[in-house]
Amino acid sequence: MKSSWWMPDIPKSAVLRRRMFWAYVFVAAPVVALLVFLAGPILFSGWVSLHRWDMLSPVGDMPWRGLQNYVFLLTRDTIFIKALGNTFLFAIGGVGANTILGLGFALLLNSRIRGRTVWRVLYFMPVITAPLALAVMFSFIFDRNYGVVNNVITALGLPRQPFLSGPHQALMTLIFIAIYQYVGYYIVIFLAGLQGIPQDYYDAAQVDGAGNWQAFRFVTLPLLRPVMLFVVVTNTIGALQVFDLVFATTGGAPANSSMTVVLHMYNTAFKFSRMGRASAMAFILFAIIMLITVMQVRLLRDRAYQD
Amino acid sequence: MSKDEHSLPQSAARALKYLVLAGGAFLMVFPFVWMMIASVMTAGEIQMRPPVWLPAQPQFDNYSELARSIPIGRLYFNSLFTSGIIVLGVLLSSSLAGFAFAKYRFPGRELLFYLILATMMIPFFVTLIPVFFIVRQLGWIDTYQGLVVPGLASAYGIFLMRQFMVTVPDELLDAARIDGASEPMIYWRIVIPLVKPALATLGTFTFIGAWNNFLWPLLVLNSRELFTLPLGINSLRSLYADNTNLLMAGTAVAVVPMLLLFVFLQRYFIKGIALTGLKG
Repeated sequence: MKSSWWMPDIPKSAVLRRRMFWAYVFVAAPVVALLVFLAGPILFSGWVSLHRWDMLSPVGDMPWRGLQNYVFLLTRDTIFIKALGNTFLFAIGGVGANTILGLGFALLLNSRIRGRTVWRVLYFMPVITAPLALAVMFSFIFDRNYGVVNNVITALGLPRQPFLSGPHQALMTLIFIAIYQYVGYYIVIFLAGLQGIPQDYYDAAQVDGAGNWQAFRFVTLPLLRPVMLFVVVTNTIGALQVFDLVFATTGGAPANSSMTVVLHMYNTAFKFSRMGRASAMAFILFAIIMLITVMQVRLLRDRAYQD
Repeated sequence: MSKDEHSLPQSAARALKYLVLAGGAFLMVFPFVWMMIASVMTAGEIQMRPPVWLPAQPQFDNYSELARSIPIGRLYFNSLFTSGIIVLGVLLSSSLAGFAFAKYRFPGRELLFYLILATMMIPFFVTLIPVFFIVRQLGWIDTYQGLVVPGLASAYGIFLMRQFMVTVPDELLDAARIDGASEPMIYWRIVIPLVKPALATLGTFTFIGAWNNFLWPLLVLNSRELFTLPLGINSLRSLYADNTNLLMAGTAVAVVPMLLLFVFLQRYFIKGIALTGLKG
């Protein structure tokens, strides 16, 4: 059957046409749902970002603002600019630590070790726990007055730390919680990647006289590139969208020192009813995420070919 | 690598390995343990100076007090019910559409599949405002439909199922057709049993996502009778602002059963997650 790049010819036989009919039946509901709840909304969101809208006035009467929402956000909304910076730091800290720790612990678990399953389960527990529940647990653990971390610190004779309530510590503490939350996931991913590397490669390296470090550098790392790419990309995308954790610990406080983009967007939209501005925020973050993803893919993939 | 196991540096390295693993595992488990301990302390013990590390007398009454102030059963029902429907919906819609994309030729197939791939990349926050608006226009604010329907189809799910179904041999389908099987029958009797592992993985993922979801229920639900577990914990934050022991009891009630379930099914959970990680 000859077909153009996007559309095969309509088949002539009744049997094939009958099959085609069923194909349409199978895709109909899912595709309609995706159009209504994903594709349509993203177009609508783009349209709203060019207007002023409180969601109560009719869609047809939204006053046109052009790019003013975008200009305002990038030049005058100091909270947004602060939130962008915080979100970047949060992502860089979390992704860096999770990649290094994830790979490190995966290497440990991949070596000759007893109780691999048990270790894996323990490290994975936070991954399946609701982020909101973790946020509540850690708000208490890092509490300035009654938190167990401060109990230990003061028992050692050191000064009490504000952690989540300190303007210089809140974001750091959130990064720590995010590492706690997701490192187990990346350990499991890296471990699966390591177990996919054939033993022959290591045997060959050993024959060539490679030591442990050289085997890691010239066998493990290059072969792990696709997994590395997956880990870095998904972790970055996830970290840039953080909401639950910040909402239920600091709420962006103190003095917006831990405000993140999605939390600021949530406040702008659902507390202050500025849908246009919030939609513009969403698009800016979306553009940033796409840009970073493309950069990461190019960087990690190109290197894989060069090696 | 295969040197004498009992040489001194070797066993020192082994000891260090276990020490690092144990240290990490302690950090992982401690927050949960501390939550459990605090949940059976008195409010006074939590604020004691110098701090106490264990309750003098475990206050299991905290849990009965918790049960008196929030409808735990109701929260569990709502979470199970809505997550269950979302899982069924995603499995059905993903496998049907994935099947069509993998095994049929029809005009518009490429175009629609590009649409799926494009929407797969869209983060939730970009569509949050419009979807909320749509749900409100439909009159679904503060209903189960409002919570569930926007999550019933998943671009990622369709993509995943298509990738798995492409590997099902065409000969198998043709043989069934010769035996007189209809297309829906082929889907249900032949393809679905063959992709069960993929369905299990997608189902697990979807379930955890729906079960732990917070932002969407926070926006859509207002009545306490419809609250899911994360919303329940969230409402405890203000209710028990001064009773951290009860707040921890509430969090434990929401978190521990899921953890136990995970421990029982861990092999299966982790295998699936590693699988999709490598596929992606």
